[in-house]
Amino acid sequence: MAAPDNDVFFATIKQLNQRLLAREFSAVELARAFALRLEQLGPRYNALALPLVKDAIRQAKAVDGDLKRGRLRGPLQGIPYAVKDLLSYAGQPTTWGAKPYAGQVFDFNATVIDKLAGVGAILAGKLSMVELAGGGGYRYASASLFGPGLNPWDRGRWSGGSSSGSAAAVAAGLVPFALGSETSGSIVTPASFCGVTALRPTYGLVSRHGAMALSWTLDKLGPFARSAEDCGLILEAIAGKDGKDPGSAGKSFYYTPQYARPVSELRIGYSPGDFSERADAAARDAFAAAIQVLKDAGAQLQETSLPEFPYGATLSTILSAEQGAVFEPLITSGQVDQLADQAQIAGLKASLDTSAKDYLKAMRVRRLIQTEIGHLFGRVDALVAPGRSAPAPKIDQPLSGRTAAVSAAPQPGMSAIVQAGNLAGLPALVLPCGFASGLPLALQVVGAPFSENTLLAVGNEFQTRTGWHQKRPPGV
Amino acid sequence: MTGSSRGAKFTRRKWAAALAPAVLSSALRAQNPAPSADSPAGPGEELRIARERIRNNADALAKVKLPMATEPAFWFKV
Repeated sequence: MAAPDNDVFFATIKQLNQRLLAREFSAVELARAFALRLEQLGPRYNALALPLVKDAIRQAKAVDGDLKRGRLRGPLQGIPYAVKDLLSYAGQPTTWGAKPYAGQVFDFNATVIDKLAGVGAILAGKLSMVELAGGGGYRYASASLFGPGLNPWDRGRWSGGSSSGSAAAVAAGLVPFALGSETSGSIVTPASFCGVTALRPTYGLVSRHGAMALSWTLDKLGPFARSAEDCGLILEAIAGKDGKDPGSAGKSFYYTPQYARPVSELRIGYSPGDFSERADAAARDAFAAAIQVLKDAGAQLQETSLPEFPYGATLSTILSAEQGAVFEPLITSGQVDQLADQAQIAGLKASLDTSAKDYLKAMRVRRLIQTEIGHLFGRVDALVAPGRSAPAPKIDQPLSGRTAAVSAAPQPGMSAIVQAGNLAGLPALVLPCGFASGLPLALQVVGAPFSENTLLAVGNEFQTRTGWHQKRPPGV
Repeated sequence: MTGSSRGAKFTRRKWAAALAPAVLSSALRAQNPAPSADSPAGPGEELRIARERIRNNADALAKVKLPMATEPAFWFKV
């Protein structure tokens, strides 16, 4: 059993909030402890972009004042957190993980940062990321201004991308929660590799105002945390209509586990081959055990597969066209050559070749995909697939086949769930589910748009029956 | 978190003990050199690969039969 002191760094939001309210420690003490830990240990994983120790203590003093006066703002009050360095925080550098933007400073906060400040959460730092969220298609983990994201479970392995620092910081107990972003896999992949619970919300549920745009029709922001419950609490705070985000769905989110359907009433679609012959051999036992947990909970597992579409080609074309438009000034100025990864540079340059005809074709195929996936969710309440089919790769291993290249070949079962889910704007919950060769594995549970409460109910049930989300990396 | 720690006031000594591992980190900061991101293929070859990918994507999309009435998914609030 770990020393009680260290438990603070791995406590859930609810546990920390209870201890704050019980005056076991003050918000200033908690903020100082986490902010210093993030500042001092973050570089160990190349996870830190910007420490905000003084700022965190200043915010925490205000929270202590509120607590003293009985002004309670909910479970996130006094809880430290950090954000991926693609979110603007007024007056501080926002680098987007890329050398050409190393000196960039905005004079406004991202909406999610303002929303979290409104409920008393304390921003303790900014976290590393793959340069420009990796849209160009990077070949090496080192495609970042901050160096390769190192996995807290084994620093010789990659923490995943593009929200590398967000996953590593939560896994190593440097912050209770973090925010990251996903365009296609940037929450699911690092959460899976680092053994962290994370949520990719429905497109439009969380405002992206103040976040770097990579692909206007694909980008989403979401939390990395200690449990499904924590993800629900965070999502409630950051979701909601925002006139500053043209993609805002205009919907709020209320975390209501008390009203969630029991897992025993849910039909969950899966493809057995995803967990066996298409999974890494070392991971198959853990995946089989995880599926058995869902069966034991009474979930009605149904064999299914995604409708047949060229998901990779569709997503890649849309991303290519939109990022080309976003970063055209960077590309045409030649500053793109300052990026760290040659494949990323080439991908961005080539993105200018994407034709309007192909972009519109991809967006029309996307419409068919959304319609067919809508029909699929008439037959099942959720889908489950591996977060990644194998554990984290070695840090110097080329990533071809993961991010740098997109296969046009048909993908069986739910191999294309990340692309399909992002094209259709679907929410996904990542649940740690075991280990292979000492490295974390995870499930992803994917639902219909705005079905986050259903996914969180599955997550709560799974995490009541397993303890994988509570495991800590060695030596932290 | 263990049940035994609940209700116990956190002292400066406890915070110091909790943060002790972090003190070691300054020595570790120089231990994470980024491996070279240079591609073995070279910039010209990488650009050729990237352009070929765009062409391959277009070819894959061309094989999808699209009803004429299918509009692009610019609006997908559900």
